[in-house]
Amino acid sequence: MSEAAVLTVRGLRKRYRGRNGVQANDGIDLDVAAGQVVGLLGHNGAGKTTLVNQVVGLVLPDAGTIALEGVDAVARPDEARRRTSIQAQANVPITGLTPRRAIELVGRIRGADRAAVRTRTGELLDALDLGPWADTPAEKVSGGIARLTAFAMTVVAPGRLVVLDEPTNDVDPVRRRLLWQQIRSLADDGRAVLLVTHNVREAERVVDRLAVLDHGRVVADDTPAGLTAHLQGTLTVEADLSPGAVDAGWRWHPAVREVSRGRNREVGTVRAEDAAEVVRWAQGEVAGRRLERYALTPASLEDVYVELVGDEHRAAQGRTAEVAA
Amino acid sequence: MTTVQQTLLLTQWQFRRQATMLPLLVLVQVFLAIATILGFGLVIGDPPPDQALYLATGAPTITLVMVGLVMTPQMLSQSRTEGSLDWMRTLPVPRGLFLVSDLLVWTLIALPGMVLGIVTGVLRFDVDLSPAPWLVPATLLVSLTAAAVGYGMASLLKPTLAMLMTQVLVFVILLFTPVSYPADRMPAWLQAAHEWLPFEPMAQLIRSGLASDAFSMPGRSLVVLLAWCAASVAGATWALRRRA
Repeated sequence: MSEAAVLTVRGLRKRYRGRNGVQANDGIDLDVAAGQVVGLLGHNGAGKTTLVNQVVGLVLPDAGTIALEGVDAVARPDEARRRTSIQAQANVPITGLTPRRAIELVGRIRGADRAAVRTRTGELLDALDLGPWADTPAEKVSGGIARLTAFAMTVVAPGRLVVLDEPTNDVDPVRRRLLWQQIRSLADDGRAVLLVTHNVREAERVVDRLAVLDHGRVVADDTPAGLTAHLQGTLTVEADLSPGAVDAGWRWHPAVREVSRGRNREVGTVRAEDAAEVVRWAQGEVAGRRLERYALTPASLEDVYVELVGDEHRAAQGRTAEVAA
Repeated sequence: MTTVQQTLLLTQWQFRRQATMLPLLVLVQVFLAIATILGFGLVIGDPPPDQALYLATGAPTITLVMVGLVMTPQMLSQSRTEGSLDWMRTLPVPRGLFLVSDLLVWTLIALPGMVLGIVTGVLRFDVDLSPAPWLVPATLLVSLTAAAVGYGMASLLKPTLAMLMTQVLVFVILLFTPVSYPADRMPAWLQAAHEWLPFEPMAQLIRSGLASDAFSMPGRSLVVLLAWCAASVAGATWALRRRA
């Protein structure tokens, strides 16, 4: 697998002017190499779309550099677009077309020749199990099929960098697996894939690296294993309380550190060496009808993500509350 | 991939996207073109032959200008709102080609209305036309200028504001431009304004192209029109290239 850098972002800053000026990107460094799938996590407003729009020259950075295969993407947006294919977060409206026609037309507009586009379109339609919908007018296909069509439009004649913004939204579980395979094989064919997603659990299995964006900055950038390493000795424990247990003063076992509490649903973490003890305790709670069910799982990337950006948010909310008071 | 091929593919994309609405759009254009002729006929009564010729040769300009200045911005605002414009802008396509392909689509949609408008005018007012050989390129020039102005307007203004502007423009173009009646009926200040606006030269060009025996194209008007064309195409291309 080649490790040649395809996308190199350094010190990228962008502030949107106006009354509610927002510092959307606040000094981003990011690399995506050929053969890699890099996941970009971050909640709404973290600066993901702004980053992507700067790569293809829809938004002009205030400072910083973007290089695509060594070409300055800020100075040469046309070259950047030639090297990049993007699936936007919003579905591209294709009313009036069928999925097959839309995919083929985009492939040809991107400059691939007719025969190659036809073959590749057929392969993608098969691989994503879109055959039954391929020739249905777009206004009659469901959101998930439209989403997969948009994906196929993006990768029918892909650039060296493929950017996918929430490609799995609305897609059914069976086709989602097929989609993940296609995403992986894009990288295996030597493309660089930047995957913007909230779907941490599924992305975890496909990505080579994950970058977490928060308030316009990269707060973590590592392999999934690297990101979860410090949690390896920790397990997540979830418990569904029986009705009335809270009022009766229900408490976690002392070895459990509370993470969050919802309506009759509690989440905490426990050190691996205490797990057996906690399981014994939880069995007793279930027998005593104070718990309906409980589950222990290894710490996941989702936990890391919440740990990275969730705390800060809680802190921010606290500050707002203080101001309001 | 040549630029021409890419333009035709884009045109195909835009055309097919409109496919379901296409018959209706063409029908509305035809209706508007005929209604302009018949409506003005009602307003004026039975016009003398010279006025009738003026009216019949002015109506096609109204159709072209309406498509360019009203329909084009409405469609562009719609594609901005639904997000397809931003997506198209991520494609490796020279920015000017978006303008060219949209223009092709809209000219094709306007064409049946324009032709039927002319036919209606000839039948209703019993006038004789003498088309010049350069009528077709003249039509394209008018169409391009109007669409580019509309494009620029829709790119620079907020979609809702652009929609409102088009409503105002319909009214202004129909009643306050020297297209369907001679400029000397207007107050002097409005005549002076129209010496620098593109509408009168557009009307003059189409008029002299349709009835070359009766009308001629003043050189100054051609210069004004070409200047508008160049400026509006440059403006629209700039708007398409612009980065937020």
